[in-house]
Amino acid sequence: MIWWSAKLPPDVLLLLECERLIGAVPAAARARAHSRAHASLAAGAAILPIVSRIPVAAQWAVAGLACVATVAVGSAAYELGAHARPIAAPVAARPLSDFATSHCGAGAGSIVDLSAVSAPVGATPSGGAAVRGEMGLLQRARAAVAREEFARAMRLLAEHARRFRAGRLAEEREALRVRALVGLGRRDDARRAAAEFEANFPRSPLLLAVRRMPDSAP
Amino acid sequence: MGHLRLVPRPAPSITRDDACLGAFQQELDYVHRSFRRLGTAPSEVEDLAQDLFVALRRSWEAYDPRRPLRPYLFAFAFRIAAAHQRKRNREVALGLGEVDDPGPGPEETLQGKQARSLVLVALNRIPLPRRAVLVMHELDDVPVAEVSSMLSIPLFTAYSRLRKARRELQAAIRRLRGEEGDE
Repeated sequence: MIWWSAKLPPDVLLLLECERLIGAVPAAARARAHSRAHASLAAGAAILPIVSRIPVAAQWAVAGLACVATVAVGSAAYELGAHARPIAAPVAARPLSDFATSHCGAGAGSIVDLSAVSAPVGATPSGGAAVRGEMGLLQRARAAVAREEFARAMRLLAEHARRFRAGRLAEEREALRVRALVGLGRRDDARRAAAEFEANFPRSPLLLAVRRMPDSAP
Repeated sequence: MGHLRLVPRPAPSITRDDACLGAFQQELDYVHRSFRRLGTAPSEVEDLAQDLFVALRRSWEAYDPRRPLRPYLFAFAFRIAAAHQRKRNREVALGLGEVDDPGPGPEETLQGKQARSLVLVALNRIPLPRRAVLVMHELDDVPVAEVSSMLSIPLFTAYSRLRKARRELQAAIRRLRGEEGDE
């Protein structure tokens, strides 16, 4: 049975697997979000009470400043978004034994059949190509876990760790690794991996689930 | 007493502003996707995300940084999406071709995009309160107890909604596949 949803059929679970990965918001939208949020802070909109007692003239002045801040911060954020992507905390790479492809949603009829995503071995991935490569690889690892092919999942996760050691999806990768280790019956290794996960990602939304994994059923 | 005025006071609001803005930016991908999962149209996601930031900042002092941030954010997203839906007073009915999502990236295959679209369309056929529980638990791996806490609903209600939403999701996917097969 699947640990996160034992009561959904496998074909539905495989579809959900494809939806679990979250794509990156485009740089322009990210810049807009940043500038709007920053402008609301500058204007005090986020912390002021609903009924403001600020004089009208002062409100116009603040609004003007907010507009200037929006343009300035938006430009800077766009540049940052275009040239720099945040990365997750570094996580130790795992040994690679083999690399095998599987297909996200192979059991879901004709709906899902993700092809292999290639990434240059040894290169330093960056930007959207790296994220796309990461996601493709991790999707196949997730599908392998969903099918309880844990040895294959471990190989895919090791490949991911080798190619995208400190990638954006390192958090999800390490959570999957704990699950795969449990599936293989390597509970001591799973406990160590869970402890490493907690140290590296103390605020992860997956943390509660990862903590429970080593003592859960395979 | 004048000397007391010389002691510089910390500016907690600035620190909180920075912390809140940083958290929002860090989880922006998640926030956008959560709104899509909750049925928000692509053209409206940015506005609702801004509403979420304002709400988040107003209650940032209540957030316990030792707890996971995403369930906290999702609870905001759910309430904002629900209010927006009531305001619009309509159900968002998406067809497979209407889903405009960047997805993981251009290298995602057509089949992968179809799968994600299918899930979104199926989710949109589940009433929002049950959909929120399903998304939190099945897609975000949030334990049901945490779901009930974040959404301020009794634990039994959370389990009940989850059970029903699972059935509805299966039925919706079956129907969608049947409709696709007939075309």
